[in-house]
Formats: sequence, structure tokens, C-alpha cells
Amino acid sequence: MKLGPFRLSVLALALLIPASLVAIVLFLMVYSLPVFKFSGLHFFTDINWNFGDTEDDPVMTRGMLVPGGASYGILVFIAGTILSSAIAIIIAVPLSIGAAIFLAEAVPPKIRPALSMLVELVAVVPSIVFGLWGIWVLIPFIGHYLSPTGNGYGLLAASVVLALMITPIIATTLLDALMQVPKENRESAFALGATHFEVVSKAMMPMVRATLIGGIVLALGRALGETMAVAMVSGGGVNILPTSIFSPISSIASFIVNNLDSSQGDSTNMSVYAIAAVALVLFLITLAVNAAAKLLSSGALHVRKRQH
Amino acid sequence: MSIKNQLGRAGIAALAVAAVAATAVLGFSSAAQAQVEVPLVESGSSLLYPLFNLWVEGYTSVNPNANITTTSTGSGAGIAQAINGLINIGASDAYMSDSQVKAHPTMLSIPLAISSQAINYNIPGVTKLNLSGPILAGIYTGKITMWNDPAIAAANPGVALPAHVIVPVHRLDGSGDTFIFSQYLADSDPTWASTLKFGTTVSWPAISGELGAKGNAGMLAAAAANPYSVAYIGISYAGKVASAGLGQAALLDKNGEYVLPTPENIQAAANSVANSTPPDERISMIFSPGTNAYPIVNYEYAIVDSNQPAVAVAGAVRDFLTFCVTQGNAASYLKQVNFLPLPAPVLTLTEAQIAKIQ
Repeated sequence: MKLGPFRLSVLALALLIPASLVAIVLFLMVYSLPVFKFSGLHFFTDINWNFGDTEDDPVMTRGMLVPGGASYGILVFIAGTILSSAIAIIIAVPLSIGAAIFLAEAVPPKIRPALSMLVELVAVVPSIVFGLWGIWVLIPFIGHYLSPTGNGYGLLAASVVLALMITPIIATTLLDALMQVPKENRESAFALGATHFEVVSKAMMPMVRATLIGGIVLALGRALGETMAVAMVSGGGVNILPTSIFSPISSIASFIVNNLDSSQGDSTNMSVYAIAAVALVLFLITLAVNAAAKLLSSGALHVRKRQH
Repeated sequence: MSIKNQLGRAGIAALAVAAVAATAVLGFSSAAQAQVEVPLVESGSSLLYPLFNLWVEGYTSVNPNANITTTSTGSGAGIAQAINGLINIGASDAYMSDSQVKAHPTMLSIPLAISSQAINYNIPGVTKLNLSGPILAGIYTGKITMWNDPAIAAANPGVALPAHVIVPVHRLDGSGDTFIFSQYLADSDPTWASTLKFGTTVSWPAISGELGAKGNAGMLAAAAANPYSVAYIGISYAGKVASAGLGQAALLDKNGEYVLPTPENIQAAANSVANSTPPDERISMIFSPGTNAYPIVNYEYAIVDSNQPAVAVAGAVRDFLTFCVTQGNAASYLKQVNFLPLPAPVLTLTEAQIAKIQ
């Protein structure tokens, strides 16, 4: 094969992307190693996070020089991340299915592009705007009408904000798939005497199920990694697991951004390594979720091909 | 053969581009040095950021060649970047810790102005409230949960306190405000001192009703949205806090008086420690002795390496910092963020520290 300058330069550019991924993973692993050595599995099972006394001299603990009283346990943040994303999915899925079916079936074709563009526009609203809306509108609402303690910050607020952010992702994925269902299938179902509801639920939805699942997992990936909006409305619970949907929580991403500054005041650098370890966990979770999404949506493609 | 040739050609082209770029940069900077002063970078405390912008504007108006960039990254980042030599001036709400100074002995903590912090409350029907370090420590550790707790009632004779659960609000993000607040609790409450200590982040005890908020703006929003809450908010937000309808608590000082964060009481705290400030100026003004000395008062610091890479850089840093603590300490600058000027004895020490930058 001839390796001309064009081929070579494009190859170099193409390699840059996986190379940067490898560089990030290596950096996170090297940085987080001391923390896994220090905390072991307690890193995942403890609910207490404490940078320790970074003002005073560091002390020797379990063979390592760390700030006095330091303990790194991220169970609270893992729980906050998974719970808020899961509740967001529970809210967003029915909304998105309804919206997609409405756009595919109940809207005159002439105004469909305009309406579906509106849904897509929600997906490009910056997360900080969702966060502000959460602080000024959603939180007072939850505080006044729903929460027994009058406090609106917490798991529910974070989940609702996340649900709004991911609904357009699921809805547009599903809408695209519904529009690709062959006209023949839809019309034969009608010809067999099915009602409109039966056509949608029995003839169309089964064909797009794999795409729907792929879209949901893609949305889950977005929800797990969302930082700013969650940091603004979650109430930032630390050292305590949520007991109700009104409990303050911290997600992994919002915890990182909130503690980045304090971590740099530690002369042993252990706090920085601890933050890197938290980032590695988030990275692995989102990587797994996105890989699952890829796998599931490629499955969807095969199903459609066989149908033709 | 052809690969090698083409690679070689590409390499030569790349070298040529690099050479042209390098000449351009070098040429530009040597030309720049002739006319414009050395570029300086300030980074750190978000509380100091607006004030630094005012200072740079004022400094540039008398010194048109100055070239100073300001960024807001947080006190921890300001200190870390100044230590690593990435920036010339790190801005911090707290002085460098003993362990940091031991590790980096050439770093200076130079006070630039005086700031303080208010304890704000949102209690419907209550317009006057006295609080103390032990009461606040009790609230933030979950030992005091009701506004009509006997400890609060004893500090507030004649005030009708509601039988309602307290919502303590704390900073989620690392903050100089958390540093001075936790230092006040550590200095005035022995239990807090032995367990939670103080720092820009505190491992807050688990209390079911408590809340975390991001930034002073987030603290204000959370306190305003949650009746029966209490929050600690930097004094630069005093105007916004008042217009949001939050109350300002009087705090128990070391002499047993309840004092409000008025300019006089903050200045009283600063004056009470001015003469005992050590030459490296790393001193806490929290819970200081002195008549009517407000207990949560602190210096805002510039973190600078005394060992600068070049004489010209050191000169530019000295010149700018001198401006900040002299003309820059005028009320026209400081009153915009409710800061106060350095007392005369401290100014002398600060100028001595600035002279060490070489």
C-alpha cells in the first residue's frame, strides 16, 4: 500500500483521537493509584468523604503520608448519580414515547418538521440555563407544594431537570425510527382492521424497540455525566445517603467540580489523587453505558435489515 | 524511497513553519519589552476577582503600558498555580497553611485588604437575632435542630423564636468563606476544634435537613428560598442579601458582646490584631480580642513567590501590588465590595513583604 503524505497525515489525525483517550485513561489511572492503595474497596463502600486536616502537617496513615483524618468514600456520590439518572429516565421515557408517537402519527405532515425541530431545540439548551430554571422556578415549586420539609433542593429537583434535558434525546431517536417503519407494515395493520392505537402499539413499536432502548441508554449516558445543572439544584448532600426523593444528593460530576479548588490546598497531593479516582469511576460508568448504547442501537439496524 | 522523500519534505515544511512562528513570537516579545511592561497574570479567589479588575483598571489609567490579566479560578487554584510558577500573583481568601509554607518557603502571603462575613437568617417574623460560635457549631453538627432551642432562646431574650426546624446552609464548593466560618467555630467551640477543624472544605456532619449551595450567589438563593434557614455569606454580598429580605445576625465576640458586621466593628477587629501581626502576616483575625471586634474578619491575600524568574517581572509585580495596597486601598475601590483598608502597622509589614519580591 502506498503511504502518500495525504494518507499519512490523515492517519496521524485519526490516531490522535484514540491516543488522547488513552492518554486520559493513563493519566487518571496513574493519579488515582495512591488512593486505591490507601482506601482499597472502602473507596466504593464508605459514605464518608473527608479531605482531612490539610492545614496541619500530614500524618502517616496505613503507610502513606496523608492529611490527618482523611477518608475517601464515594458511595454517597455513586448513589446520588445513579438514583437521579434512574428517576430522570423513569420520568423522561413516557414523555418521550408520547411526544414521538404524537409527532409521527397525530401531526399533519406539513407542520411535523416545525414541531420536531422544537423538540430538538430543547436538546441544545445549555445545561446552566436548565439549572437556573431549576433554582428560580422548580425549587420554589417543590418547596411550596410537594416537599414535607419545605426544602426544594434535592433528588427530585435534580431528576426533573435531568429528565427535561434527556427527553429530546429519546424523543428524536424514537421519532426517526418510527418514521422509518415501512409504510407497508403500517398500512397492512390498518387493512386488517386494527385501530390506530393497535397499529402503533402492535405493528410499529415492536419494530423500533431496540432503537428506543439504544436512545434511552444514550440519554442515561448524558444524565450520568451532567455536571452544572445537577450541582445547582441537588442540594449537595455529603456523608449521608438519601432517604427520600426530597433528600439532598451529590452526583459524582457535581462533586468533582465543587471540590476541585479545595483539593489543591493539600501539600501531600492526596486530595488531587482522590478527585482523579472519582473521575476515573465516572469515566468507567459512562464508558460502559455508552458502549451498551452503541451495541443496542447497532442491533436495531440488523433487525430492520432483516425485515426488508 | 518516495515515502522517505515525502516525509523529508513534510518535515522541512514543518520546520520552516515552526521557525517562522518562533521568529514571529520572539520578535514580537522583544519588541514588546522595549515599550510595554512585562505581562502579569493574576488568578485565584472569586471574591477578590472583581476588586482586582477595579485595581487593574485604576493601575492602567496611571500606567498605560501595564499588561495585567485577571482570572477567577478559586483560592486553592490561585495558591497552587502561584507555587507552580504558572501565574505571577495568586489571589486567596486565606493565607498559606503551615505545611504549604514548609514545603515552599519562598512563597509570601501578602494581605491586600480586609474582608468579613455575615451570618444571615431567614426566619419569618424575626428581625433581630443573636448567635454565637457554640450555637452555630450546634446547628451545623445537628445538636441544635429547633429555632426555639434553649441555647438560642438564652442568647435572645425577648425575641419570639418559632418552634420550627432549622435549615443550615453550607457551601458545596471549596471556599474561603467556609474557611473563615469553620475557623470561627473551631476558635469558639472546643468540640468543633477537635473534630471538624477548619478548611476551605469541611466534611459536614450528616444532618437530614441541611443544604449545600454553590457560590455566594447560590447561598443567597438557597437561604432566600428556604424559610427558617441560616447561611454564611461574604460581606461583598451584603447589598443583595438585604434586598432579598434576609436578616443579619449579631455574633458573640471574645468579650462576650453581640456585635454586627458594621464597618466600625470590622475595623475594630483588624485594629486589635494589627500590632501583633507577625512579619510573614499569616495571622487569623477570627474571634480576635478587642472591644466590639466582629469575630469573622479576614485579610484577603496575594500569594507571590519572592523568587521571581526575572528582575523585570519582580519589578512589575512589586509596582502593581504597591498600587493595590496604597491608592488601591482608597474607599472608592474598596466600598464597591464592602472591604476595608489595611491598618497602618499592617501596611508597613505588607510593604516590607512586597520589597522581598526579587
